[in-house]
Amino acid sequence: MKLCAFIRPTSLSDAREVLRELGPKGMPLAGGTALHFMPTKTPVTAVDITRLGLSYIRQEGNFFNIGAATPISDIQRYRGPRWAMHEICRRISTHQIRNISTIGGNICRVFPWADLPVVLLAMDARMTINSGTETEVPADEYFAAQPAKRFSGGNLLTAVKVPVLEAHHGFGSVKATRNAAAFSLVTVAALLELKDGHIKSARVAAGSAIPFPHRLPSVEAALAGREAVTAVFKEAAAKASADARWCAREGMSADYIKQLAEVSLLDALEKAAAFAKGRTE
Amino acid sequence: MKDNPNTVSFTLNGELKTFAAGPDEKLLALLRREGYRGSKFGCGQGTCGACTVIMDGRAVYACLLYAMQAEGRSLRTIESAGTFEEPAEFQKELISAGAVQCGYCIPGMVMSATALMETETVFEDEIVREYMDGNLCRCTGYEKIWIALRKVLDRREAAGKTSAKGGKK
Repeated sequence: MKLCAFIRPTSLSDAREVLRELGPKGMPLAGGTALHFMPTKTPVTAVDITRLGLSYIRQEGNFFNIGAATPISDIQRYRGPRWAMHEICRRISTHQIRNISTIGGNICRVFPWADLPVVLLAMDARMTINSGTETEVPADEYFAAQPAKRFSGGNLLTAVKVPVLEAHHGFGSVKATRNAAAFSLVTVAALLELKDGHIKSARVAAGSAIPFPHRLPSVEAALAGREAVTAVFKEAAAKASADARWCAREGMSADYIKQLAEVSLLDALEKAAAFAKGRTE
Repeated sequence: MKDNPNTVSFTLNGELKTFAAGPDEKLLALLRREGYRGSKFGCGQGTCGACTVIMDGRAVYACLLYAMQAEGRSLRTIESAGTFEEPAEFQKELISAGAVQCGYCIPGMVMSATALMETETVFEDEIVREYMDGNLCRCTGYEKIWIALRKVLDRREAAGKTSAKGGKK
């Protein structure tokens, strides 16, 4: 994306005002790593939002509140009670990109290969959007369509609220790639609520090998009420194709990706169950 | 609010500098035109790591930053690491290990390793791989680079343990 001007607002209200005035000619810039690859017909004005105090991670009540301009590497290094976001963040791109790329940039405009939308869908996260007043949008609603359209008229994503997992909750995510720093072939994530060894509720999501990340309701239904054991996880993972149209990726056939997704789902569910049963910190 | 500036100021290798820069100019392009040519242009798309510099203590790709993003930050390039006459510890080990074939990736490797050594105190293999995962080498291969880096890190860990023991007495 070609830039014709670069503006550094010093307050959130200034940033919103200038973005509102610029309209489609303005582009919020946090890490900016994706901007270099976005084609545009006409140059845009970059509005730097990294100096507005939007980089932080705080535990507030039942949520971890993550500022929208928080770099991925900060989320990877953060540790809190039953914190589960670090695993997927470690798998995003390279060390240098993780130091610059932000959680907000990863989810304001969802690219097909993005990993965090999958995790945030499974986690039932909430996105805080400032449009003069602050509104919290649940992940299911936020990721129902390309979120970029929410940010016209100077609206800005300011934070992402991730629930603190309770003792009987477990989370697991798997990103399958050709090599460590490659874009995802398929990314899956699962949140399990267990009670007496049985699955009380499940949230399962997939992305990257499908046109847009979404939950897998058939997999979730196949888990609900069942015992948290491998056979059940395998059976549930096999239902994923009922919800997802797997696409061929990077030379891999759609059928290969389907099998990869099912194996990845099994791994994510096993991880989530182990987390719920064993991890107490 | 700073409205569309045409200069950018940041601390470069310890000195506060101001450069003329356009909004679309990449940090790597600015550094190289100003004579800091140790940072290399490799892929130009944030994959190879040859352009790695340290910004506010973190390794970043200069090819994926607009120069304007560096305003007010503290930057270090390979020119801060060592000289031909007095190479830094890791640079010496790279030479001893025969790890420098074409040498194009080495400035980036050194900057990533510098960020690692300045941030961490424990250098388990997994942590080292995490810091170095954004630097590619396409001629020497990684084995000799790894051997050189491991030597430096092992020495630092041993020195850390010795001083910790000393502190307990």
